[in-house]
Amino acid sequence: MTHLSISRRKLLRGIGASVALPFLESLYPSKLLAAQYLHNTPPQRFACLFMPNGVPPTKWNPAKTGTDFELSPILKPLDPLKNELLILGGMMNMNSHTRQDGHYTKDANFLTSMRIAKTVDAKVDSGGISLDQLMAQHIGKDTMFPSLQYGLDRIRSGVDNAVGFTRLYGGTISWQSRTQPCSREIDPRMAFDRLFRNFTPGKKPLPEDPMKKTVLDLVKDDVKTLERQLGIEDQNKLGEYLEAVNSVEKRLNDRQNLADFASQITPDIRKELQKMDMRIDEWAEYAEGVDITEKTRLMLDIIVLAFWSDASRVATLMFGNSVSNRNFSFLDGVFGAHHSISHHTNDPRMLDQYEIISRWHIEQYGYLLQRLQSIKEGDKTLLDNSMILFGSGLRDGNRHSPFDLPIVVGGKGGGKFKTGQNIQYPDETPLANLYLTMLHSMNIEVPQFADSQTVLCDILV
Amino acid sequence: MKWLTIILTIILSELSVVRADTPEDKEFQRSALKMMHKHCASCHNEVDKKAGINLEDFYFAVSVVRRGELFKEVTDVVRNGSMPPSGAPPMSQADKDTLIVGIERILSRALAHADPGLSVMRRLSHREYQYTIYDLLGVEFETVHYFPSEGSGGEGFDNQSGTLFISPLMMERYYNATDSILRQIRSDKTLWQRLAPTNYKVGISRRFINSILSFINPQREFFWEAPELEAKKIIVPFATKAYRRFMSKGEEDQLIELFNQVYFASWKEKDAFSNAITAVFKRVMMSPNFLYRIEVNLHSDTPYPINNFELATRLSYLLWSSMPDERLLQVAYREDLDNPSILKREVLRMMDDDKFRRFSSSFAPQWLGVEEMLYAPLTDQVLFPELTLGLRKAMHEEVVGYFHEVFTKKRNLLHLLDSDYAWLNEDLANHYGIEDVEGSEFRTVNITDRNRGGILGMGAVLTATSLPVRTSPVLRGQWVLEQILGEPAPPPPADVPALEEAKTKNGNHLDLRSLLESHRDDPACLGCHQKMDPIGFGLENFDAIGRWRDSYDTIPINTGSALADGRTFKDPEELKGILMEDKAKFAKNFSRKMLSYAIGRRVEFIDSPSLDRLMNELINNNFDSQTFMLELVSSYPFLHRRSDLATRYKGI
Repeated sequence: MTHLSISRRKLLRGIGASVALPFLESLYPSKLLAAQYLHNTPPQRFACLFMPNGVPPTKWNPAKTGTDFELSPILKPLDPLKNELLILGGMMNMNSHTRQDGHYTKDANFLTSMRIAKTVDAKVDSGGISLDQLMAQHIGKDTMFPSLQYGLDRIRSGVDNAVGFTRLYGGTISWQSRTQPCSREIDPRMAFDRLFRNFTPGKKPLPEDPMKKTVLDLVKDDVKTLERQLGIEDQNKLGEYLEAVNSVEKRLNDRQNLADFASQITPDIRKELQKMDMRIDEWAEYAEGVDITEKTRLMLDIIVLAFWSDASRVATLMFGNSVSNRNFSFLDGVFGAHHSISHHTNDPRMLDQYEIISRWHIEQYGYLLQRLQSIKEGDKTLLDNSMILFGSGLRDGNRHSPFDLPIVVGGKGGGKFKTGQNIQYPDETPLANLYLTMLHSMNIEVPQFADSQTVLCDILV
Repeated sequence: MKWLTIILTIILSELSVVRADTPEDKEFQRSALKMMHKHCASCHNEVDKKAGINLEDFYFAVSVVRRGELFKEVTDVVRNGSMPPSGAPPMSQADKDTLIVGIERILSRALAHADPGLSVMRRLSHREYQYTIYDLLGVEFETVHYFPSEGSGGEGFDNQSGTLFISPLMMERYYNATDSILRQIRSDKTLWQRLAPTNYKVGISRRFINSILSFINPQREFFWEAPELEAKKIIVPFATKAYRRFMSKGEEDQLIELFNQVYFASWKEKDAFSNAITAVFKRVMMSPNFLYRIEVNLHSDTPYPINNFELATRLSYLLWSSMPDERLLQVAYREDLDNPSILKREVLRMMDDDKFRRFSSSFAPQWLGVEEMLYAPLTDQVLFPELTLGLRKAMHEEVVGYFHEVFTKKRNLLHLLDSDYAWLNEDLANHYGIEDVEGSEFRTVNITDRNRGGILGMGAVLTATSLPVRTSPVLRGQWVLEQILGEPAPPPPADVPALEEAKTKNGNHLDLRSLLESHRDDPACLGCHQKMDPIGFGLENFDAIGRWRDSYDTIPINTGSALADGRTFKDPEELKGILMEDKAKFAKNFSRKMLSYAIGRRVEFIDSPSLDRLMNELINNNFDSQTFMLELVSSYPFLHRRSDLATRYKGI
């Protein structure tokens, strides 16, 4: 079985690393070691761009599989990046195959690959931790921000009474735990300032409150006092509070991290930050609420800067909430809104519009890949050290079909992936197989992720 | 110890997922469930889901209780013979009895003991945080953009415990908010003096003593209680208000200790006293006691009344979206707040306060689903340039102001469905083609055209239920069924496309109606669409941003239609007349929404005695808003809570 042989290889590699480390550590002081590592093997990064509403099913697949394939019209914008891509067909999230609902049950769990609980409020549950958050626990723990979650729209308020789901499910793919969604930034200014304000030339740094540490330390006493007075569900809520306090405290305490981070802000990055800062101002003044393409690119550029400066190594971005009905009439040839058009009833005119909208998403994805490619990291590029996932929880929006999902991975993941391939897997191949492969490529040696069965050997070098 | 609790919690919560069958479960599986599988599940299964109902997957008595209303309906239709339908294999009387008795036994057992349901502590919603900050500190702090946006739960509100989380990002924002709010206050002398009216200045003699003492013991200045005594005068009232209850001695000591620690470390500096007070304020504002509304969990196996302070807090967050004011806390301390006459007195006082408008501005737009008007509506900006941000805000204000007017002045909630007045300013009146309204301020305007009065004629509602480029009768029909009558149609089966959305090209309205009518020939669609579409047709005179129109370009609009039950109407006015006939449904739905908003969770079957009572009171009192509110705050789940450690409710 291929499954066995692969895990053994991984296992051996894992052992090799764990034997080597103490030896190296005894020779070098830890900081030097870290620097050494940084110099030799730049960190791996992961991002996931999530698109709602699926794709026109007959217009997605490239002609021919293998290495000599031809991109479909939707994927055409990725032409210059063809050799950096893995286009993976035939995959699905088996746990999203439910007739409870067309969208939420397939989107909220896009990165957890588990079944979500049908609920309007009590016991919101995504079935498990999401891929990005699991990665953040490992490769993210040494950075200022273990992970970033971005979106373009506010989470839709209200509940979907007709199907019995809170719309919260439609606004998050990142789950810190099965019961806790991550919050999402949707404003470029807020997102940028959080990471970079204090390093942007010409900006007054935000003063750090000297009381912060004391205050955060003390409020934890309240948790201890309260715990004794509360029921189980309340204690769960308090646990959530405590975890959030700890994570803020951790960043505060980690002076070394901050210093490392500051030292990574090279003059090049500094220049970029200044440009970015102005672009955000411009957008906010003239184009906020009008130019969604520029907003998308701002958010993507912030991810690029975060990866480049090593502020973070893990990010997700949602192009829209589940069932998003973003009005795409700003694109030539489109007259209407995303979700409406995704119900195309095989009408060629609707399919054309659906295709244009899908291509817009791919263009943005291509923009991110190219920006990452333009940045050198040693003799490689930032893209070479990244794995950038693009996907949707649906195939055909018209049928809400969860089979054969549109999935692309860009970047070599730090030399792990054999890119430049279009692979059609057998139907119903778990998408979690890809996730497991990504985790193993980061030396996160979990035996299984969600319903994964095996790693995808074909994409590994 | 902490970890032990967490681990135990995890184990316990896992246990509740995989639970063993109780004798009641087994009894149910042998009787009623068997009958459902035999007679109902051939249509009402997970795949076919006729009428959106799946009766296959209920194995436990608690799940029957959870969907109690559905099962009440099941017994009703079996008893009156409308199910199984003609054509299906008939059901013997014995089978019917088994099914009905089996279900009713479970349901009546569930209602035998009053159950207030589980109330989990609620984090302040962004809205509540903003108002609480204002009432506590006197500054406006805008949370909508500063805090990450959140989902809603229960009946669709942002104050439901199940959907209020704290993430690391949120915690960071809380800290930054706290810091910047207090910075702002410190920079404003009047604001700061209101919060910290006393100040301690170190006198010359004290300076002298301290300098001598510090020789003896450099760690700390002994025998110096004066600053602490002054500080207490500020800190104790502040924290009491912020925690919405009295502090324990231990809590108070902790705060004072923090004060001393900060103060003595820097007493020689000019602002030492204020700085130390500020540090304590920060700690209070970051405490779970402030950020959450916490109610004490008694280890009782039966439900119990919440205490006076908890009741005061529930009241003030219901009516003001904020903390209790000083008077309410005083009443909670000195009197029996749950004494009906005292409760009534306080609720009426609070409804009389300007802060009660926050209730209208929070509840009404969320109930009607028009919040998005303030942010990013889907409407196409090229086709509808008239829908400016200003107009959108005006539309939103119309919903809030009208609701408030109805609730506080006219006091007849049926006016929400239909009335002869509107809440308008000049811009909005122009938009609707109503003359003689001048100026930007809103006011009550008497209207003669009865197509417009009530929420169905409001721009916000009509826009929110349209597609970006045109109207959608289906969406509007569904909206009325869901938000007004409380009977949403189930979603289309997964594989059936939404025909209407698809086949109309380029915003062409001309064939819309015939197309919709044609697809209703399909029996798979008919059931639901004959409920939704006619209502939507009745509102076609309003375009996608709520303006009146008589025709699509040149082709006249035919709004006349008939509901599934045969009642006919010819225009929006007559449609509203029909809705008024369904006021019992409206009453039930409105009661459900209000109850959910008040108790912070979805309304369950266990609440049905309270819900029925609210509905009946509403109808019997001619939809009087004030009486209704008094009923609501006297309802069982509003006044009680139970422990989730109580074994009686295990699993519910």
